Parts: sequence; C-alpha cells; structure tokens
Amino acid sequence: MMSIYLFWRQPSQMVDKKRMKTSDFRWLLSKFVLLYLMVQVTGALRDLKCTTNNLKVWDCSWKAGFESVIDEVCIEDRSYSCHQVEKTNIKIPALPPGDHVMTVKSSHSPANSLSKFILNEKNVSFIPDTPEILSFSADFPTSTLSLEWNDKGSAFPYHVNVTWEIKILRTERRELIKLETYNTNLNGKDRVHQWSWASDLPLECATHYVSIRCYIDYLHFSGHKEWSDWSQMKKIPWSPNSQTKVFPQDKVVLVGSDIIFCCISQSKVLVAQIGSTLCPLIHLDEKNVAIKIRNISVSENSGTNVIFTTDDNVYGTVIFAGYPPDIPQKLNCETHDLKEIVCTWNPGRPTGLVGPRNTNYTLFESFSRKYVTFKRAETFINESYQLFFQILPDQEIYNFTLHAQNPLGKSESAQLVNIMERVSPHTPTSLKVKDINSTAVILSWHLPGNFAQINLLCQIEINKANSKQELQNATIKGAKNADYLIDVNKLNPYTKYTFRIRCSAETFWKWSKWSNAKQHLTKEAIPSKGPDIWREWSSDGRNLVIYWKPLSINDANGKILSYNVSCSSHEETQFLSEVLDPQHKAELPLSKRDCIISVVAKNSAGSSPPSKIPTIEIPNDDLKVEEVVGIGKKILLSWHHNPNMTCDYVIKWCNSSRSEHCLMDWKKVSSNSTETIIESDQFRSGIRYHFFLYGCRNQGYQLLRSIIGYIEELAPIVAPNFTVEDTSSDSILVKWEDIPVEELRGFLRGYLFYFQKGEKDTSKMRGLEPGRSDIKIKNITDISQKTLRIADLQGKTSYRLVLQAYTDGGVGPKKSMFVVTKENSVGLIIAILIPVAVAVIVGVVTSILCYRKREWIKETFYPDIPNPENCKALQFQKSVCEGSNALKTLEMNPCTPNNVEVLETRAAPKIEDTEIISPVAERPEEGSNTEPENHVVVSYCPPIIEEEIPNPVVDEAGGTSQVIYIDVQSMYQPQAKPEEEQDIDPVVGPGYKPQMRLPINSTLEETAAEDDIDKTAGYRPQANVNTWNLVSPDSPRSTDSNSEVVSFGSPCSINSRQFLIPPKDEDSPKSNGAGWSFTNFFQNKPND
Amino acid sequence: MDLRAGDSWGMLACLCTVLWHVPAVPALNRTGDPGPGPSIQKTYDLTRYLEHQLRSLAGTYLNYLGPPFNEPDFNPPRLGAETLPRATVNLEVWRSLNDKLRLTQNYEAYSHLLCYLRGLNRQAATAELRRSLAHFCTSLQGLLGSIAGVMAALGYPLPQPLPGTEPTWAPGPAHSDFLQKMDDFWLLKELQTWLWRSAKDFNRLKKKIQPPAAAVTLHLEAHGF
Repeated sequence: MMSIYLFWRQPSQMVDKKRMKTSDFRWLLSKFVLLYLMVQVTGALRDLKCTTNNLKVWDCSWKAGFESVIDEVCIEDRSYSCHQVEKTNIKIPALPPGDHVMTVKSSHSPANSLSKFILNEKNVSFIPDTPEILSFSADFPTSTLSLEWNDKGSAFPYHVNVTWEIKILRTERRELIKLETYNTNLNGKDRVHQWSWASDLPLECATHYVSIRCYIDYLHFSGHKEWSDWSQMKKIPWSPNSQTKVFPQDKVVLVGSDIIFCCISQSKVLVAQIGSTLCPLIHLDEKNVAIKIRNISVSENSGTNVIFTTDDNVYGTVIFAGYPPDIPQKLNCETHDLKEIVCTWNPGRPTGLVGPRNTNYTLFESFSRKYVTFKRAETFINESYQLFFQILPDQEIYNFTLHAQNPLGKSESAQLVNIMERVSPHTPTSLKVKDINSTAVILSWHLPGNFAQINLLCQIEINKANSKQELQNATIKGAKNADYLIDVNKLNPYTKYTFRIRCSAETFWKWSKWSNAKQHLTKEAIPSKGPDIWREWSSDGRNLVIYWKPLSINDANGKILSYNVSCSSHEETQFLSEVLDPQHKAELPLSKRDCIISVVAKNSAGSSPPSKIPTIEIPNDDLKVEEVVGIGKKILLSWHHNPNMTCDYVIKWCNSSRSEHCLMDWKKVSSNSTETIIESDQFRSGIRYHFFLYGCRNQGYQLLRSIIGYIEELAPIVAPNFTVEDTSSDSILVKWEDIPVEELRGFLRGYLFYFQKGEKDTSKMRGLEPGRSDIKIKNITDISQKTLRIADLQGKTSYRLVLQAYTDGGVGPKKSMFVVTKENSVGLIIAILIPVAVAVIVGVVTSILCYRKREWIKETFYPDIPNPENCKALQFQKSVCEGSNALKTLEMNPCTPNNVEVLETRAAPKIEDTEIISPVAERPEEGSNTEPENHVVVSYCPPIIEEEIPNPVVDEAGGTSQVIYIDVQSMYQPQAKPEEEQDIDPVVGPGYKPQMRLPINSTLEETAAEDDIDKTAGYRPQANVNTWNLVSPDSPRSTDSNSEVVSFGSPCSINSRQFLIPPKDEDSPKSNGAGWSFTNFFQNKPND
Repeated sequence: MDLRAGDSWGMLACLCTVLWHVPAVPALNRTGDPGPGPSIQKTYDLTRYLEHQLRSLAGTYLNYLGPPFNEPDFNPPRLGAETLPRATVNLEVWRSLNDKLRLTQNYEAYSHLLCYLRGLNRQAATAELRRSLAHFCTSLQGLLGSIAGVMAALGYPLPQPLPGTEPTWAPGPAHSDFLQKMDDFWLLKELQTWLWRSAKDFNRLKKKIQPPAAAVTLHLEAHGF
C-alpha cells in the first residue's frame, strides 16, 4: 500500500492580526498560500482547511478527487476516534495544541486510498460570525446616525478584545464617507452596543447606509485570526417631506463653522446662493444638490438666507450664525430698599442672535432654590440687564448663580452676598428745611424702603455762598418707608444755605444719589459788634463828621436797617441821630467838644454793641512829613512803641492832592502794635497818598506822624518847563520850574540836562542816544536847584538844550530848546587883523628886496632889446629869406611887424563837419587822413595815431589787441533814429558788429556803411568822430575840435573808438560829469 | 424706497388732517348729506398716502429680511402665501365689477392684510421696525374706516366676516423661517398692488359720483414718489 503523507507545514509565520485587519488582499493571499501548503493526496484528497467561529468546534473541509467517497475519518488524539462521514467536511471538537494526525479513508476510490493529515491549532483560522445590526436610526434635526448591534459575547465565556469596524456609505453610489473603528471586549454575556455619528450633510439630503464587521483578538488562540464578513447593509428609512425642500431648516450654528445645505428637488437647481453670494453646486443623487459654506459669518437679525433657484421655483432656508452666550460680567446684586434684590450684569460679547434665539438668563438662588428668568426678544444697545429677586424673610445670605443660555451654549456667573451689606438706598426725596433759631435748622426727608433692621448713615452737604462746602454725617435708626429728621447746628444767622442729602446703610456699601438741593435762609440775629467808626472835624471846626464802615455779612447777622448815633459825656448821653442803612456817615453840630460818640447798628433782631470814639483831638507840634514807598501794592508803616497810647492807633489816609480833610479810609490797630500794613483796592500807582498816624490816649486822638507815599512810583508824565535866562558868547543860564505833584507820580530824584550843538532842523532828526560824544549830560540831583549855567560854549553857535526830570519810577519826557550863543567880537577882530598884518609885512619885505635887487631883476626879466627897424642890414630878399633863414637871421625886412594879430583861419569847423557827415569809424581809409593833432592820446601805452594804421581791415583780421583809453565822456551821444537801427539790424551779416549801433545820419552814410558791411563782415573797429565831439557843452573841447582829446577810463580797441566795456545807458548822463579823469574832475568842480 | 424726512412729516400731517376730518365725513356721522363725494376723495387721498408710506416701510422691512429679499430683481413665484388676498385681477373682470362689489373686495382685502400686518409686527425683532409697522397699521386701520364710511354713504352694507375664515397668524413648526419671510415679502407686495388697485377704484368711483362744488377736497401732492 502506497501512502503519501502530506503534512501540514507550519506557515513561515503567523499571519499578523493587524495586517489582516488592514488589508483584505493580504488576507486572501495568505489564505492562498495556506491552501497551497496543505497536504493532499494527488488525485485523491486535497485542500484540507479548518476554521472555527467560536474556538470550540473546528470545521475542517477538503476537496476530494473524482468519485472519491470518504468512509471514515480518524483523528489521533489522546484517544483515537473515528467518524463516518459522507461529505467533504467534518466538524470536530477543538483539539488541544500540538500536532494531531487525521486519517481519511476513502473506500470507494479506485486506489482505496488512505490519506493522512497533520492537524494543528496553528493551522486553524478563527473567523467570527458576521455581526447583526439591531437598529440603524437617524436624528434628522441633529443629522446624527445611531447604530445598535449585539456583540454575542455569550459565545465566548472569557475576556476577549473585539474590534468593530463600521462603515457609512452615502448616496446611491454608495460612496464611503466614514470608516470607524470601535473597540470593546466580550465578557461572556450578550451586550448591545451603540455608536452614533453626526453627519455634516443633512441626513435628508441623501440615503445613508451602514455596515459592520468584527475582529476578535483571543490571545490564547495560536491559529489564524480573521475579520468577520461585513454585515448586511442597512439604510435610513427616509421619505422626504413634500413641503420642505432645503435642509437644514432654521438651524443655529456657531460663527466660523462649516455647514452644508442641500436642496431636494425634482427639477434642476440652477443657482444656489447664501445672502447675495452665489455658491458652487455639489451634486448628490438625482437632481439633488448641496452647497458647502465655510467659515460662516455672524447673521443679521432675521438670519442669513440660503436660496436654491430652480426653473420654476425658489426654495430656501434661513441659518442663524451666532455665538454662545458670554460669561455674564460684572454681576452685582444689591438692594435699594431691602424689599427686593436687583442683580445687574453685562452680557459681554453680543451673540448675534435675537428673537427666540436670544440668550435666556435665569437667576437662581441656591439656598431658597428659587429663580427668576430674564427673557427679551430684542437686544438693545446699552441695555441694562437686570433681574429682581424678592428678599426672603429671615434670609440674609444669598448665593446667586446667573445662567445664560442660547441654542449654541450656556454660561454662568455666581455671586454670594450678604444683602444687609449690600444696601444702596434710593435717592432721598421731599427734602425740607425748618428753622429752629438763627443758627440751627431741622432737615427732613423721605426714604422709601424697609430699613427697620438697620441703621442708616446719611450725609448732609451744606453749601454757603463764597464758602467751602461742608459735609456732616449722621447715623439714624432705619424705619419702614419713613420720613427722617435731623437737626443741623452751628449755622450762621441770616445766611443762605443750600442743603442736600444722601444716605447709605451703616455698613457702608454705596451712597444713594444726592437728593435735590434745598435752599434756605437762616433767621436774623443781632449784629455781633458795632461798626468801625472814625470822626473828623469839619474844616470850620464846628461840625463833627462821624464815619463808620458797614458791618460785614458775618457781623451784621441780618439786614442792617439803621444806625443810631449818640454822644455821651460824664453827665449824660445825648441821642444825636438815626441814620438809615445805605448812609455810613453823619455830620453833626456838636455843642460839646468833649464827648464820646457811640454808634449802634440795628437790624430786625436788635441792636449791636455800641462802637465808641472820643471827639477830642490832642495837638502835636512836633510833626514832620515823611516819605514812604509801597512794596507790592502795600504800604508798610511802623512806629515806635508809645506807652502813652492806651487805646489804639488809627491810620487814616487820603489822596494828597485832595483837600486836607479828605478821608479815603482808616484802619485801627491795637495799642501794642508797632507796625501795620495798609492795603486798599483804591490805591493806584503813581498817586501820592497822605497817611496820618493817630494815637489814642486820654480819651482823645493825637496825630503822631504825617507821611506821604506812593504805592508804586512812576516816571513823571511831563517835563519841567525851563527857560533861558541869560546867554553870552560862551555860556547859557537855564532856569526851570517845579513839576506839579499829580504829574510827578513819584518822589522827584533829580533832573537830567543835555546840551549839544545843533540846528533846529537837523537836531530833530537825531535822538539823544547816550554815549554820543557831542552830547553833554549833566545830572542834577539837588532837586532844590532850579537854575543851571552852562559854560565853555562856542560863540554864535546854536545849541540844543534838553531837560527831563526823573523819579525812582523812571525818567520823564524830554523838553528841548534851541539857543544860539552870542558872537565873540574879540576873536573876530583878531581874525581880521592878523592876515592884514601878515600881508603888510610880506609886501614891505618884498618891496625892500625888489628895491635892493632891482638891477638883477631888470637884467633877468626885462633886458634891453635893440630895435630892428633901426638896423638896415637886415633887409634881405624874400627868396633868400625862405631858402636859408638860418644864415640870414639878422637880415630881417623892415616889414617885420611889431605886433602880429593872428586871425583864426583854420578850417576846424569844416573838419568837424566832415567828421560828422563821414564818420571816421566807418571809413578807416579816410580816417588815416585825419589830422593827427586832433587826437593826441595821453595814455600809459605809446601814443598811437590813426595815421599809423595802414590797413585797418588787416588789423581787424589780425585781431589787434592793443588798447587805448579815450575820454569816457566821448562815448555817449544821443543815438539818432533807434527804430531805423533796429530795421537795419536784420540786414547785417553774421558776426559781431557793434559799430552798426552807431548813429548814421544820412543816406549816404548808410550806403557807405552798407558797403563796409559787405566788405567786412566781422568786427570793424572804428571811431565815430561824432562820438568824441558831442561831449558836454560845458566841456572846453566841445567848442574846439583841435583841442587835445585826453582819454582816460574805459579801454577801447586800437582801431576803434568804441569802448570795450560800455557802461549802462542810464549811467550815461552821470558819466558825462563824473568820468574818471582829471579833466573831468576839474570840469566837474564848478558844477559842484 | 427712500422717503425724505420732510416728506414723511408732511405726509403725517396730511394723514392727521384726514383722520381729523374722518368724523366730519357725513357718511359716517350721518348728520348731514353732502353726498359721498368728499369721503371718496379723502379715501383716495389716504390710499395714495399709504402707497408712499408703504414704500418707506417696505424698504426697511426688506432690508431686515436680508438679501436676496431686498434685491430689486428678486421676484420669487407666489407659491406660498396662498391665504393672502390677491389683488391681481383680469381687466375685464375688474371692469365688470360694480361699485358695491369693488368696495366690498377692497374692504375684505384690507381687513385680511391688516390682520397679517399685525402678525408681522409681533414677529419683528427690532423696535424700530415694530414702530414703523405699528404706524402703518394705524394708517391702514384709518383706510379701512374710510372705506367703511364710503360704503355706508353709498348705502352698502359692510361685509360680515365668515366664521372660521378670520386669518390668524400662526407661527409654528410647520412654518419655517424662510417660508415666513416669503410670506412677509408677498404680504408687502400684495399690499402695494392693493393700494394701486384701490387708488384706481376710488378714482373711478370719484369720477362716477361727482362731488358737490363746495366740497372741501384735500389734495395730496404725490408727485415724485
């Protein structure tokens, strides 16, 4: 019997569980390898494969050859057991680990073969049963799918880890959109598992499918573990509502999230838009479409519209994008009246949701477990968020939690308060003021609230005009909705006060608002003191004028109605007068000079204490007037202590320009003072005041000092009037007057006297600047001096005299005068006599010399000359005389005249005419014929005479650079016909032709000029004689053409009389008279 | 859609004048008999005024509804809002109506529209919008009273509302926000069409019943709106 043993071969390695899990392909491949490796009988039995689904029973199957019938399968276990089978598989209980031999006997096969296999657990595949889905449901509003299945754990009585794989497919195309792995374990009991998943696409938009499989990882099984098969697919039972076409409807989403909208439509959707923005379409099943919105922004109040437009209709939905409620901020719970608690808060960031989606607030109190809710459809800007919670009896501690909730989320904020410490009363109302007396009032006010359990702390603000406000605190026992009273003391009589009040609890939390202000005028009281009085005797000494100052508001304590004046002496008191209020003095005839005047102020409450003053004035002969100047608008007066002065000191003052009995004001100082500062609003700078210091003794006042002074010294406003008393040839006596006190404006400290030489007109132009050498200054500090003699002056000279006064406040204005000193006759005589004497002496000396040297003089200056007439020998032939006059000098004819009168016969004017008509400048050829005497050139360069220029044209070409100087005056002349010149200019050829500018006076000249232009197109230096001759008529040369033309000044070309540096036209007249030449200098001099 | 503030005040003043004169309409107090002419004229004027007022309101409200409702070319088919009374009518049909039928249709339409408008007011989320709607409702109430006055003057009985047909505003889960917005849109549109139609109706009636020469007419300058 031939047997072929086929052995299970150990796989090179166990198929990794994870690999199986991740790839079906690999699993199939390994299975194929397994099958390949299976031991089989060729042509008989092959492909033995064993699997298990519960680890208890193995299901082994194989493939048989043709017509093979298996009769018996025997397995060598601990006990050898055989099974009769008729199929190609057998279920056997799981074998323990290790190799087991399985013998398959096939009796009907031709060979009656016996096949042996080696069975091992390692070669067995563990494939769990396919899971069964219990339910698959959908929550459409939330687009959530829910799956339930049974794990059938009872089949595995031990702890096993299970991995479930769930896949979600969408649309009829079964697109896989989600593959989820879900791990659990089996613990021997059947358990139902749930899994849910939220879809981004609304579930109404497309059919959704689900399927599940599992993988059991039993560690003690050494065989091959595989995934179960996928369960049967389940789909969502969904029949779309006929009305609703767009999903999701009215959804609230978080700002910034992504959301998909779909439209279920029978007709084709053309356009989809959110708001006014078009969106690309995503096609789903059939004609259904979807759009995806990314990062959605916050919606308007009515939500964001999403519209799908088809051929015949419009479908849409509204989406509300917003935020979850912010944590309520600044939650504050307090009470105004201890009846209800008001909690306020700030909602924080706006949610963007309004109406039914607005945030709901619930205030929950945890001790009492009561709550109140806040619901408002509309959100206002700056809206106050507050909730009222009724105070519960016998509860002081409240633990509040404020819950905020909207469709997108919730938040909360908490506060624990002792409400007795959180009392902020309402604003006090009905504030009233009632008088008690002139210095005290009662305030009453109403405060709503149940404050019976606490004490109130109230603050009263007391305002008085021109005074700092005062705050008074008062603690009051609280009551229920009561009126409260409080008295306010220490007020001033007859004073207008403004009261207002605010309250808090004694355990301070917050003040209430201030109540309305209430004004009140306190009652009057008698004046607290008498008026300050002074008296003056009238100028005639009969009447006594009594002055008093009105009482201050604080002293008057009411409206002063009148003043009573009385006079009391030792014997009696005499009532003198009653003066009504606005008047503050009384002039009374006094029969007795010795009495005490008393003045009493009266108001409606009564009379003031009397103010008394004696009438007697004790004389003082030892008086001198002193001076004082104020410091900073104040006057400081001091005096020596005088023990005799028993009452007081009085300083009165007045404007010194007024009469002696004037009185501006007075001041009383106690008797032990030795100084006082006087200040008054009436004091003005530059005004002289007279101060009188009185001392009081023996019931009478004595004038102690008399002082004049200024608050501030100013400069005088006028100059002293001065006159010239006497004038001599070398001195002037000046006298001036005093300046009136009113115009002096300070104590006079001296005069400044200036004098200088100067005429009346010119001096006005000059100031008196210090430091000028010609100004002499005299400072006269002796103010008693009223005259000044100025010596060492020049005779018959005008002097300017200036006088000004000065004080410590400055120098006053100037006053000036012009004085001419008298002539000095002695000097004049001397000035005449000395030249005369000198002339006489010179004449005498000359005469003497001439006389002594007369012979020599005669020989030298006047020798004897023989008379040729008397000489016959000198009568020669004329021709001989002409031929050789050197030989026959002495043969002069008797026709030789003694006197020759020469008549001007030269044709100088003729030459001049020629020159005018034919300018040399334009005719250099002719210029060579010009008389050389006409142009004697005085120059630093060798004199060049035009005759010596053989060919000026050549010179032009050669560019001769010699320069001569001619008279500046000759350059300028009136240019005739400038318009014609301009006309001519265009005819001129190229090149610089300054000569063309020269005047051309005739057609002939023009022609000649044009000819020249033709000949010489370049620069043609030339001199126009006219330009030399048309000089100033004052010039001697202008009348004499033969005179020498002396040239200085501007350089000119050797061939030209034109200046190379022509001055400006406007300068020409000046140049005529101010040319830089000696001749001009002399010519100009007479013009000066 | 924008109405200048000055015009609004002018219109408001005119409305007040009209309402002030409503009790004086003889047809209403039946104390005199100047004929129905003045009250027809006033009703006509009030209709024109409401047209202008509606333009302002519609602008505000459509902006509140948001795009695309406030876009000028947005013209959805009138599939929802079936309960709204339609103002559109065939010209031949309109001509064939008699005065009584015409006035009755007007009265019934505005009764319904007013009811819907009040519901709109309750739904509006902003206070400003609610004020505008309330103001317009008051004006529309005035127009309804005016039409009733004209009908009374002409001796026509007021139509009795059929039991159960009173329109109610029932926002519920069945009515989505979008459909609600569509209804609002169509409500405003129908109101506008009705006001046009009423103006035409009253103009026709006015010409038909010549007012007495001494009748005081109140003319509203309606140009430029």
